Amino acid sequence: MAIEINYTEAFEELQQIVRDMEDGEITVDELAVKVKRAAELIKVCKNKLTSTEEDVNVILKELEA
Amino acid sequence: MLHSPCSKNWLPSYSVSENRQIFSLKQVVSSIRKTIEERYQTAYWVKAEMHKLNLYPSGHAFPELVQKENDKIVAQINASIWNHNFQRINKQFIEVVKEPLKEGTTLLLQVKVVFHETFGLSLQILDIDPNYALGELQREREETLKKLQAEHLINANQQIEFPLLPQRVAIISGDTSKGLSDFMKVLNNNPWGYQFFTMLFQAYLQGDVAAPSIIEQLNRIEKVKHHFDVVVIVRGGGGEVGLSCYNNYELCKAIASFSLPVLTGIGHSTNMTVAELVAFRNAITPTELADFLLQTFHEFAVPINDARKVLRSSSARIFDFTKQVFNAETKHFKNSATNYLLEAKNGLVVESQKFKNEAKAQLSKNRDKVNSAQNESRIFSSQIIKHQQEKVEEITLLFPTKINNRLEKEQLRVLEMVNMVRLMDPKNVLKRGYSITTLNGQTIQKNNQVKIGDTIQTVTFDFEISSTIIKTEEHGN
Repeated sequence: MAIEINYTEAFEELQQIVRDMEDGEITVDELAVKVKRAAELIKVCKNKLTSTEEDVNVILKELEA
Repeated sequence: MLHSPCSKNWLPSYSVSENRQIFSLKQVVSSIRKTIEERYQTAYWVKAEMHKLNLYPSGHAFPELVQKENDKIVAQINASIWNHNFQRINKQFIEVVKEPLKEGTTLLLQVKVVFHETFGLSLQILDIDPNYALGELQREREETLKKLQAEHLINANQQIEFPLLPQRVAIISGDTSKGLSDFMKVLNNNPWGYQFFTMLFQAYLQGDVAAPSIIEQLNRIEKVKHHFDVVVIVRGGGGEVGLSCYNNYELCKAIASFSLPVLTGIGHSTNMTVAELVAFRNAITPTELADFLLQTFHEFAVPINDARKVLRSSSARIFDFTKQVFNAETKHFKNSATNYLLEAKNGLVVESQKFKNEAKAQLSKNRDKVNSAQNESRIFSSQIIKHQQEKVEEITLLFPTKINNRLEKEQLRVLEMVNMVRLMDPKNVLKRGYSITTLNGQTIQKNNQVKIGDTIQTVTFDFEISSTIIKTEEHGN
């Protein structure tokens, strides 16, 4: 994934796009860009639900430090 | 009556023959026992703190009872609970207080003062009032609440913003706890594929050791808290006994002031403990707690799935709307343009009519002008003509006399000229002696030269002479 974004930001940005679309605040010109962005954000969020990056060994090392 | 063996006549040199009464130790302690038994015949209710329980494998317990004032022990005595009493009392306690007998609590004890020849003085515990203990626990609970309230910590943990996805979970539990395995089962076997990261921080979950043990693990988690979203304390399968530790002030304070949300699922059905009360969220069981975590995942996942639908439907709607607007605009433009053209056309017709009328008006105006000018000029020119005619007539009248004068003058000039011409007539010249010589009818000049032998004619006034040329000589001029 080209963009580095945490899931909270991704989720909020996605919600904003959805709200804007529902409120009709997106023009046809912006539509393609927004939909593409939304698809990326959905992917980020979906990935987050089904994967974690934490490592027990790293935490144990920090605990011993 | 017992007298002191050395009450009097204590001498450095000791003589058995001296008349004094000597008791054996057994006699003495037996006497003490007898006295005490006589003095303390009934049992008494005593309030005391059970400092140490000292339960032996035999089933007998030998607690240390103390009374403290300002944390200082002001009275202390050993006690005993015989096996059968201990079993009965403990059972009662667990039923009523939901706690086994434990050290460090103030109890209302039914005791008998006993003196044993070898074990000495002690209090034999016959009964312990569980309701008093319950009240004590209640008091501890209330005291903890009061303290936390004073420190504004009651809602401190609940005011933390809950993470959008409580994905990384620090678990405080025992590794053999049924509650833990229930909790993990729900998380790991969720059918939606939600992934959690969990790490176990082992602690005792009940009894006196629980509070310091849990606090220690909270401190460890604090060190690595950036790896976690929430802390859960799960316990289960341990029955409803030994939970008063969750009213412990130190533990409750540690939970309330923890920097991550602390969720409890310690599994019981009696009054909520203070720890559960101050936790970010309390679930009755570990399973319910795991369900809650899954639910927050749903709350994250559902809007994302909805977002797809909304994106699709909203896109279609935006297209439709734009199309409608465009169509409306097109229609509007068409109407406007048609109207504009029509108006322009009408305007043009009106203008051209106006122009026509104006031109007509101008023309007729100009025609009138021309007519009047014509009339004027006619009048004017006839006047001029008349004037000229008059002039002509005037001139005509003058003309004959002028002509006559002129004629007379001209006649005189003609006469003069006739005279002159007459003088120049060759005849008159000949008369005056001149002659004219010709060759072949022409005067002799450069282009009509005479050669010797030619016959020339000479005319004089009176004669015509023919001569033959004998000699010619050209003049120098």
